[in-house]
Amino acid sequence: VTAPTPSFEEAQRELEQIVERLERGDADVDELTKLWERGEELYRICSAKLEGVRGKIEELSRESGS
Amino acid sequence: VKVEAMEVDGRKVYSVAAFNEGVASWLARLPTLWVEGEVTELRRQDRWASVFFTLKDPENGACLAAQMPRGRFDALELGLGDGERVHVFGRPELYEQRGELRLKVLTIERFGVGAHLAALERLKQLLATEGLFAAERKRALPRFPKLIGLVTGNDAAAKRDVLTHITQRFPAANVLVAETYVQGPRAAAAIESAIGELCERGVDVLVLARGGGSFEDLLPFSDECVVRAVASAPVPVVSAVGHEQDTPLCDLAADVRASTPTHAARLVVPDVKELRAALERRREALHRAGRRTGERHVLRVTNAHERLRRAPLLALERKAARLATAHAHLGALSPLATLDRGYAIVRRGDDVVRAASEVDAGDAISVRVADGSFGAVVG
Repeated sequence: VTAPTPSFEEAQRELEQIVERLERGDADVDELTKLWERGEELYRICSAKLEGVRGKIEELSRESGS
Repeated sequence: VKVEAMEVDGRKVYSVAAFNEGVASWLARLPTLWVEGEVTELRRQDRWASVFFTLKDPENGACLAAQMPRGRFDALELGLGDGERVHVFGRPELYEQRGELRLKVLTIERFGVGAHLAALERLKQLLATEGLFAAERKRALPRFPKLIGLVTGNDAAAKRDVLTHITQRFPAANVLVAETYVQGPRAAAAIESAIGELCERGVDVLVLARGGGSFEDLLPFSDECVVRAVASAPVPVVSAVGHEQDTPLCDLAADVRASTPTHAARLVVPDVKELRAALERRREALHRAGRRTGERHVLRVTNAHERLRRAPLLALERKAARLATAHAHLGALSPLATLDRGYAIVRRGDDVVRAASEVDAGDAISVRVADGSFGAVVG
């Protein structure tokens, strides 16, 4: 089951949590590998979001005079 | 003035002219006074003897027709525009021909900065009492806005400043722009409705941006309806109106005040460069923490291995030590140690002699001393 791609904010928060978890140093070896890989994946997600996405600027169409 | 009524079928009846004349004479008794309102529908022509305009109440739109001699109006050189607030000195009068009430104007004074300030101060006090400016009402701006609503004038500067800085800092930003009047009599209502429309379109933060201007230019941003719209907006509002020293009331009601449109852009979106740097720092931290945890695991395994390797030798050494101790104990128990001190063991045959009565004279005995034994005969 693939989780839906998180938003930049969510990905960043999860990455922070993983770093904290690893910094505590109590993750076992299997977990360590998984956390590391997930961390790298989140890094790539954030990175791609920072690079690629362009927002759009739209004018609100309004009846004249208001 | 005596107004004559006719007698018709036993009823007093007035002609229209007589009625108007009567009302006019009543009105004429009212005093000359000052009326405050906004000038609208100003009509002035060189060939007319009078100038006509309508005084409008800014609060509820109540109207009053006004008329002023053209010569007097021109002499004031006010250059009044539509929607300007004025104080008008005059008295009510009935235009008898049409039965219309109007204000006969003697002079007009522009509603001065002082009067504006006083009105503004009153409004400020009122709204402050209602708690519209309270610190606990202020909301935090979203860290990553999904859709930014921008209320701005169609004058390029402020709008361009905000949009340029938003897209520079955070290219992924989505902005919905509502252009409105930002000065003049129609501005307040236009700003209010723009705020409403943007909120309906689902923006999650609002920016009001207007460049610098005169005190009067910025007045719409202190208008009660705008201030209330800002305070009751369902999403946080950033107010970037005028320059640093201007404090329109919408600044007080907004959740965050920005000193310039550029500052507003900085407040409303994160800087992609900073985000990138923070992301890289986090990745480094991930690697560092991962490595450290890994190293800790390796160290534990290495330690365990080392101990494992040393364990048999250790066990052997421990056994040897125990043996040595046992041996030492044995030594302490040995009779030899006693013999060393000069004692002897006497045997007759294989039996140890423990009492003098056990031997008789002439018995052969053997005597064991520390370094050997010798034979002897009991005397």
